[in-house]
Amino acid sequence: MTNLTATRFVVMTFVSWLAAVAVCFLLIRLVPGDPVDVFITQVNIQASEALIDAYRAQWGLNESLPVQFGLWLHGFVTLDWGISFATGAPVSGELLQRLGWSAAIGFGGIIFALAFGSGLGFFTAITPGGFADHLSRAMAVAGQALPAFAVGVIALWVFAAELRWMQPFAGGTLERLVLPVALVTFFSVGSVSRLVRAGFAETVQAPYLKTALAKGLPFRSAVWRHGRRRAAIGLFAGIAPDLAWVVGGTAIAEIVFGIPGLSERAIQAVAARDYPVLQAYVGLVALWIILGLQACAALRRALDPRLADAALAS
Amino acid sequence: MNRRAHAMWALALLGVMMVGAVWQPVDPHTVDLQVTLQPPSGQHWLGTDHLGRDVASRLLAGAQPSLLAISIVLVSSLGIGLMAGVAIGFGPRAVSGQIRWLAETALALPTLISALLLSALFGAGLIAISAALIASTWAPYALSIAALLERLRAETYWTATLALGSAKLGAVRRHLVPNAWPMVGALAGADAGRAVILVASLGFLGLSSDTGRPEWGAMIHEYRMFLFSEPQLVLAPVLTTGIVAFALNRALDNR
Repeated sequence: MTNLTATRFVVMTFVSWLAAVAVCFLLIRLVPGDPVDVFITQVNIQASEALIDAYRAQWGLNESLPVQFGLWLHGFVTLDWGISFATGAPVSGELLQRLGWSAAIGFGGIIFALAFGSGLGFFTAITPGGFADHLSRAMAVAGQALPAFAVGVIALWVFAAELRWMQPFAGGTLERLVLPVALVTFFSVGSVSRLVRAGFAETVQAPYLKTALAKGLPFRSAVWRHGRRRAAIGLFAGIAPDLAWVVGGTAIAEIVFGIPGLSERAIQAVAARDYPVLQAYVGLVALWIILGLQACAALRRALDPRLADAALAS
Repeated sequence: MNRRAHAMWALALLGVMMVGAVWQPVDPHTVDLQVTLQPPSGQHWLGTDHLGRDVASRLLAGAQPSLLAISIVLVSSLGIGLMAGVAIGFGPRAVSGQIRWLAETALALPTLISALLLSALFGAGLIAISAALIASTWAPYALSIAALLERLRAETYWTATLALGSAKLGAVRRHLVPNAWPMVGALAGADAGRAVILVASLGFLGLSSDTGRPEWGAMIHEYRMFLFSEPQLVLAPVLTTGIVAFALNRALDNR
């Protein structure tokens, strides 16, 4: 990557993130109901005018909107995410503690989905109409058409209630993570395998594969060696919607299996109108999605020389 | 199963849901603490819950919010998607570029998270759910219709129609709509399924609009503590949601 593309990468990431966060910030400010009023109602105290004014001043609500946004931005960058309306605790401490659980479920799910999905896609491409093909198709349909929480509740029933293989709410860290990670994986394996299959299937048709076979390479390793780059490019081009899905899927997994993660806290915050928590949550989710999209684009550029040239030319 | 069978199943399910939304064998709100947690019987087809309410009737009544969300989402995202698609396809360059960018951005929105935020801002309810769904579902329609228009413009019959003096909009209606129908059908089926899933997901997260009214996700939320002792109570709404979402999703899909 040249300096120019690196700079553009950083600037684009930051601008997109800023736009997403600013929209959320504006929406929260536009809703009727002053944050201080919400807070006073939440903590249920008899507040005098002076106290309300003091809070307004402390939270910078008397400033103009751009200044308020600047203050919030400064706070977010310096890990000062404000005080939760509902608990009165600093938001950053609460959320950072939970970040580990959510990241483990999200990244774990993505990594397993990429590993299983790529393997499944490869075997689907070299044996069309075979068992792998049917499995991959079924997983893709299931991932699109089934509600995540329904699959999660059924998994909980089968593995925890009937078979009693695990104690999802009380066991060790690893034991508690197995089912949530499996749930996120289950819902992404299908689409990954279809994307990977497309790349390898094109290779199977390609004339250069005939050359490779004529040189004496075994079919399987010829397809793998000549198709993997193309499959990876297709995968990173098509995986974007799944990045957004993983956030929602992680949220469902946290609730179904009782994991104290980020989204679980955000859902409590929704019920309590706990805006500082929601604002910080949106900042984190937007960062994750935008970084993910940019990373996919960067990987594609690194793998596909045609794209790298195009980026330089423009 | 072939495509026709899928469509018939989905239609039959929709019919049952429509009937269930207005008629239930037992009043779904009647609490009877004498007959709590009953197994299925002739009087209570799927048994009763921990308050003695009839589970089958509650499931039937729970079809109402799902049907409402499906109709709101389909009508508005189809309408917005069609307009935006035509704007991308035929609009001036400055406008079409902006709308295309907007559509591509909307695709990256996590629907569940936007629904959560909107629920926090405007109160949990069908309006928040529908707004979140529309925000994420109009874009695929717009982009597919724009792509279709681009392909259409290269067709000779399109040039011929315009050369014969047809009005552009009339020609779009006559040539685009029949061409777009299979694609729109597949998207609409998937969106109807997604509407059911999202309504139930929010209910399951405990953000149901009205806790008194039966709703599938809210039922799962309410009954989940019985998963270990009375699993059929939880599995009934879980399977209902799963089957309905799956059937709608597959019904109009032509893959």
